[in-house]
Amino acid sequence: MVLEIAKPRPVWQIMFSTHHTDVGLLYLITSIAFLFLGGALALAMRAELFLPGSQIIQDSMTFHRFFTVHGTTLIFLFILPFAAAIGNYLVPIMVRYKDMAYPKLNAVAYWMIPVGAALIWLGFADFTWNAYPTYSILRAPGPAADMWIFGLKILGVSSILGAINFIVTILKCKHPDLPLSKVPLFAWSTLIASVMILVAVPTFAAALLMLLTDRLGVSGFFNPAMGGDPIAYQHLFWFTFHPEVYILVLPAIGMMYEIIPRFSRKPLFSSGSGIAAFILLGIVGFASWAHHMYATGMSFTEKTVFMIGTLAAVPGSAMHVFNFFATMWGGRIRFSTPMMWSVGGIALFFAAGSGGVLNTAMPLDFITHDSYWVVGHFHLFVFGTIAFGSIAFLYYIFPFVTGRMYNEKLGQLHFVLAFIGAVIVFFTQHILGLFGMPRRVFDYPPFPEWIAMNQIATVGAMIIGASMIIFLINMIHSSAKGKEANMDDPWGIGGKYYFPHRVKTPHH
Amino acid sequence: MKNIRYLAISVVILFILPTVTIAFGEETKEYVNRRAEIWNLFFRMTTAVFVVGAVVSGTQIWLIWRFRESHPKNKTPTKWETGESH
Amino acid sequence: MSGHSSWPEWVYIGVVVAILVWVGADSWYIEKLIDHAPEDAEIIKVTGQQWFWSFEHADGTKEVGELHLKKGHPYKFEVQSKDVIHSFNIHDYTVMMDAVPGRINTVWFVPDEAGEFPIQCREYCGLIHYNMRGTLYVEES
Repeated sequence: MVLEIAKPRPVWQIMFSTHHTDVGLLYLITSIAFLFLGGALALAMRAELFLPGSQIIQDSMTFHRFFTVHGTTLIFLFILPFAAAIGNYLVPIMVRYKDMAYPKLNAVAYWMIPVGAALIWLGFADFTWNAYPTYSILRAPGPAADMWIFGLKILGVSSILGAINFIVTILKCKHPDLPLSKVPLFAWSTLIASVMILVAVPTFAAALLMLLTDRLGVSGFFNPAMGGDPIAYQHLFWFTFHPEVYILVLPAIGMMYEIIPRFSRKPLFSSGSGIAAFILLGIVGFASWAHHMYATGMSFTEKTVFMIGTLAAVPGSAMHVFNFFATMWGGRIRFSTPMMWSVGGIALFFAAGSGGVLNTAMPLDFITHDSYWVVGHFHLFVFGTIAFGSIAFLYYIFPFVTGRMYNEKLGQLHFVLAFIGAVIVFFTQHILGLFGMPRRVFDYPPFPEWIAMNQIATVGAMIIGASMIIFLINMIHSSAKGKEANMDDPWGIGGKYYFPHRVKTPHH
Repeated sequence: MKNIRYLAISVVILFILPTVTIAFGEETKEYVNRRAEIWNLFFRMTTAVFVVGAVVSGTQIWLIWRFRESHPKNKTPTKWETGESH
Repeated sequence: MSGHSSWPEWVYIGVVVAILVWVGADSWYIEKLIDHAPEDAEIIKVTGQQWFWSFEHADGTKEVGELHLKKGHPYKFEVQSKDVIHSFNIHDYTVMMDAVPGRINTVWFVPDEAGEFPIQCREYCGLIHYNMRGTLYVEES
């Protein structure tokens, strides 16, 4: 059923529901709220960095808390829950089952998100989203640090529970007449990401526990004074979080696989190639973690091994780009808002990946590590690819959730501004990094080149901010007063859709 | 055949000459210029990346222009729209 | 699966793999070039701590926040930390190595140009990470 804003369902009905469309809605609203909260922190930081010296933030510690909570929020409270939202809406329909495999567990996994979020936001830790020891165990002020650790523990459990649910739903609950090879690629991306979560996240859970006991002083895993090694934490952290970036990007690419063939009015070029690419990324994604650690004093051989592991994952991503292009070739493309966002996302995905190939060259790490180059690079992925794919899908699913159409012109304006803004900020930050500006800095020396590029980046960020305000207005106004959508084919492109609003729910 | 000659010359200039220079360099107190080597690598990589980028983005721009709905050649529906259902 | 020829995709992947092999080989080669410090490099002990750098020359001379080196001489830095992880960075000379408490990391270079060059910290280390700076002075020998 659609979310009829004008005659709303009782809120408690949604909050206590275990049906996949309702849990999906809860994840959706939560993730979008945190997109805006995390984005607001980013705009504050960019305003501060407009000039050397203090602008709107008075002290460095506040700035450090801002970037810690910004990164933590957008990864754990926007990207992951948004993927869970769309997964909840569509995966059961795609495998022709009535709900998720474990509906109550599904709701429990969702409700851990607000708890984890509260711990992170009420604590406002300062040690970056990486939380490297020995700073995080010896110097980071509590209780913020400890609240962050507990918050992430809870969010990690939520991720694992959600992953179990998706895997069982797809593999065990799918309709007997539906072979795995015919399951849509978005469900495949969710499946592979979920398997990766089960392998990667428990490692970080262990690392978090060790961080906590080290902070309490009862252990010395990462404390050299007690015989420990801070680099051990980095291995544990990146063993989780390099695969995690694939966990973040796979559902977004899966979402593009839902949009691009439909709006090209042409079947996907090769679902086999897409599935193979997902599996390849899922496996090889585990082979590259220490490329984040090239500057820690690793041996030549270790660095070489991880460089090879990193390069080995590139063909998988290249296959997806080929698939998208080959799908569009020969089609008759309607460039509605979801399609624009998806195609823009592919362009920025490629730019991010190219910068990544450069990063993985070991000697170039001496130029780029922990500089603004890295900031520009990963934002091209998390904003340019993942957020673009997610926003594309949000526009796509909007009529099915609300029964109304978003404003197409505003949606396209949102895209144009966000794309231009993203290019301005993140491409500039690559060059800023080449000029040597470190990341995670509250202030910088008044080098003219640094000032100029920081100002350009701030302007770009404000353009993105303006576009997101347009987005917010569009979403709120259209859900209440938008034109009623043609629920069989909201864009009139003649395609077949998965219809979340037509599933049987216990409330209808 | 000529291509092999160019390839061989490139290999010699890019790889063998520097290696030999370094091997014999210790005696003449010529040290590797760290930042030159690193930045040269950076610019080689960047050239390659921009060439590939030009190809990929050029392809993408051509695709979205040629297969947009409003292109004159796209007036008629594709065979997937009229023929087989997918 | 889709019933059509997929040779263009294989060619494309072949090209991608060839480029990646080149990236890997060229990087491996350059890393090998710069990895091994020469025998006659003078050892400079670099100590990072919240929030400044201190240096000790081979002859025992100590400096804080500044480092005076001679042009054309090879130097090998032994980088260590007294408290949290820092990262010793002279960006103009592409010198970078983490200062990790409990271990000593090494990096070497030859300053080939006289002048003043900024030294900065490249790993978040707390309150004044952003201003954990110093200056390298390279003097004509």
